[in-house]
Amino acid sequence: MHWFGFGFNGFGQIEPQSKDAIRLLSPVKLDSLCVCAETFSRSDLSPEQKTESRKVVAGWSRVAVLHNTGERRCVCVHGAEGGVLVSESEGCEDAVLTERCLTLSFAHTVQCWKLHTNTRELVWSSEITRTGNTGNAPPLPLVPGGYIASKLPFFQPLSPHLQAMSLALGTEHAVLSTASGTVYTWGHGGHGQLGHGTLVSGDEPRAIEALWGVPMKSVAAGGWHSACISAGGDLYVWGWNESGQLGLPSKGLREARQREKQRIEKDKLEGSKMDESNSDVFISIQAFPALVDVSEASEINKVSCGSRHTAAITGIGDLYTWGWGHYGQLGHGSRCSSDEPQMVTFFSSGRMRVEDVVCGLWNTFVSAVPRDHVPS
Amino acid sequence: MAQVWRDVMAVLPATETEFPLVFSEVVEASVLTMLELSRKELYSSLNPSCIEKAQVIIDYSWEKLNTGTWRDVDKQWRRVYSYGCLFKVAAMCQGEASQDKVLDAIKTCDMGLIMGASIMDNILQRLMVVLKNKVKNPERLGDTEQPRPKKPRKEIILKPIINPALFVPRVRCPALESFRAEFLEPKVPVILEGTIDHWPAIREHIWSIEYLRAVAGCRTVPVELGSRYTDEEWSQKLLTVNEFIDRYIVGQGEEAATGYLAQHQLFDQVPELKGDICIPDYCCLGEGDEDDITINAWFGPGGTVSPLHQDPEQNFLAQVVGRKYIRLYSPEETEKLYPHESELLHNTSQVDVENPDVDQFPDFLKATYQECVLEPGDVLFIPKQHWHYVRSLELSFSVSFWWS
Repeated sequence: MHWFGFGFNGFGQIEPQSKDAIRLLSPVKLDSLCVCAETFSRSDLSPEQKTESRKVVAGWSRVAVLHNTGERRCVCVHGAEGGVLVSESEGCEDAVLTERCLTLSFAHTVQCWKLHTNTRELVWSSEITRTGNTGNAPPLPLVPGGYIASKLPFFQPLSPHLQAMSLALGTEHAVLSTASGTVYTWGHGGHGQLGHGTLVSGDEPRAIEALWGVPMKSVAAGGWHSACISAGGDLYVWGWNESGQLGLPSKGLREARQREKQRIEKDKLEGSKMDESNSDVFISIQAFPALVDVSEASEINKVSCGSRHTAAITGIGDLYTWGWGHYGQLGHGSRCSSDEPQMVTFFSSGRMRVEDVVCGLWNTFVSAVPRDHVPS
Repeated sequence: MAQVWRDVMAVLPATETEFPLVFSEVVEASVLTMLELSRKELYSSLNPSCIEKAQVIIDYSWEKLNTGTWRDVDKQWRRVYSYGCLFKVAAMCQGEASQDKVLDAIKTCDMGLIMGASIMDNILQRLMVVLKNKVKNPERLGDTEQPRPKKPRKEIILKPIINPALFVPRVRCPALESFRAEFLEPKVPVILEGTIDHWPAIREHIWSIEYLRAVAGCRTVPVELGSRYTDEEWSQKLLTVNEFIDRYIVGQGEEAATGYLAQHQLFDQVPELKGDICIPDYCCLGEGDEDDITINAWFGPGGTVSPLHQDPEQNFLAQVVGRKYIRLYSPEETEKLYPHESELLHNTSQVDVENPDVDQFPDFLKATYQECVLEPGDVLFIPKQHWHYVRSLELSFSVSFWWS
């Protein structure tokens, strides 16, 4: 399995060698570049105990890679300061990264580290007491009894009645799915990102009634939009569609494209009207969940949201992306935005099956395996 | 056009070390790093790379400006946005600065002026002066549609029938004390006559379409599309003043929507226009500082509508060009006006004033009101919290002063 990254590289967080390339328009392999892999191979490990990247989490200026090297687990942070092995992360099970903070969860504690240039500072930590079976603890930012926010006071309690299974934190809203597949949202709602059909904000988790009766297996949250996947593999989206991040027709995006076109062929198109095809169905804000057709061939397995883009993996391992593309975060080899889901051909034509996807604010990270190696 | 670059650099500090970049804790170290890199590249004449980094700064701070409600956005992010615009503008003017590039630089400068905060002794405004001098034939640039029809678009505008019993009283130049005693303190709406006759906008710089094109044609402004802001289809768009005039003022109706340059602080953005108006003397009766007075421009064709709403400050609405029909309801009538329930629109009535749905809003017709047609030269005093509905009867330019 290999991890790839594409999109915003302004701090060399994806490819340190080409720091001048602010944007990477096509996927670049991550793990061969990871300096902490070398750190490990210098230690007392046998060559068979290869370092594996287990998970990638990304903020705006940094990327954190969770490694497994034999029995050892730890986190390496890549950004303006180069690749830095977080020595305190040894044994960590999960991590969350924001612009200011790295949150690490261990078997018995959760820690929040404030990231400074070249240093870090432990700003919060708490013991975890897991009740019941410890087998399948919900992933970060969920912790027993609540979740970890990116700001003080970090821990936020959640009612045990919610039976939270997964939680996604957007810029200022939260999307949660429960054991029974109900989706709850709270936080800022000014762009419809709460999915209740209004632009009203709310501090308390509230179930999205429009999704009632359709159990959801996973949720994602971006800057101002949200997404979830039903048990049957349907993708629902809601919130702001400013850059086409919902995969629904975006007027702003079409107009920007038209302006760009006019700029290129200024004389020819002088005074010409905008391409008005499908103009009656433009969506600026989608305040209720809407079903998006990503691929006719397959259901959706995974979804992740960046600040203004969305990425999803189909059941057959194809990656689709849409939304804001100015930094190459869509992986289509261009800076174009798209309000329609488009397959990232890098993986399909490279005979790779995409297994996981994680969006940073303006970039995208993907793990993929050669198709031939997939047991049928 | 190397002259552009030289003049732009003359506005900037002479060296990189004299160029300040100081922000509070709110701005993350990574953002400061990006700002410093952009600054370094500007002074090293690495312009394409400087523009890229400036765009990163603009994009990142744009996201911060769109996070939460506008009034809660930390001013530091508006400053960061302005710096991004400043670096982009300066780097854009390097080398061969064509007319198109200068116009693009003006647009970027305007974005900084509209969304950003003042930085470095209002450097964006000073850059704008330099850039505007580089625009050839300013009153014609930015035109795309040609030939332009000479007459403003014809509208079929419903003329209001006014009940004389409900007229807003008119007074000619009252003394400060009598305005205070008779209108301000008892919260009585009144039309002041003869108080803006001395404005350059009415005398030597008459605000004609040609004049507005000459002074501000290439300037970017926010325009509201859709006849009222409560409409489902309502949206906002950034256009140059020339584009706005071409499409929505003199256009032959090819644009379906009504465009309205509404509630925009145009006079902070274009100081030449601020010189054409004066703050009414009566504002000194308020407790606030003169700097706290919010001056907004309202420029649009006939048929623009501001739905019935109330504002939290005293208002002088000065009519410079054209006529407007205005309906006023006192705050005591609020219950009969059916304000929207959402927090965003709770200052706005749900009722379409001139075509009310009496089944849905039965008490609306029981509400007492006053009405008037505001003529050029009139100033309407709208007391704080007074509900008002405004519809333009023809091409109109009004200036509002919110004060306390």
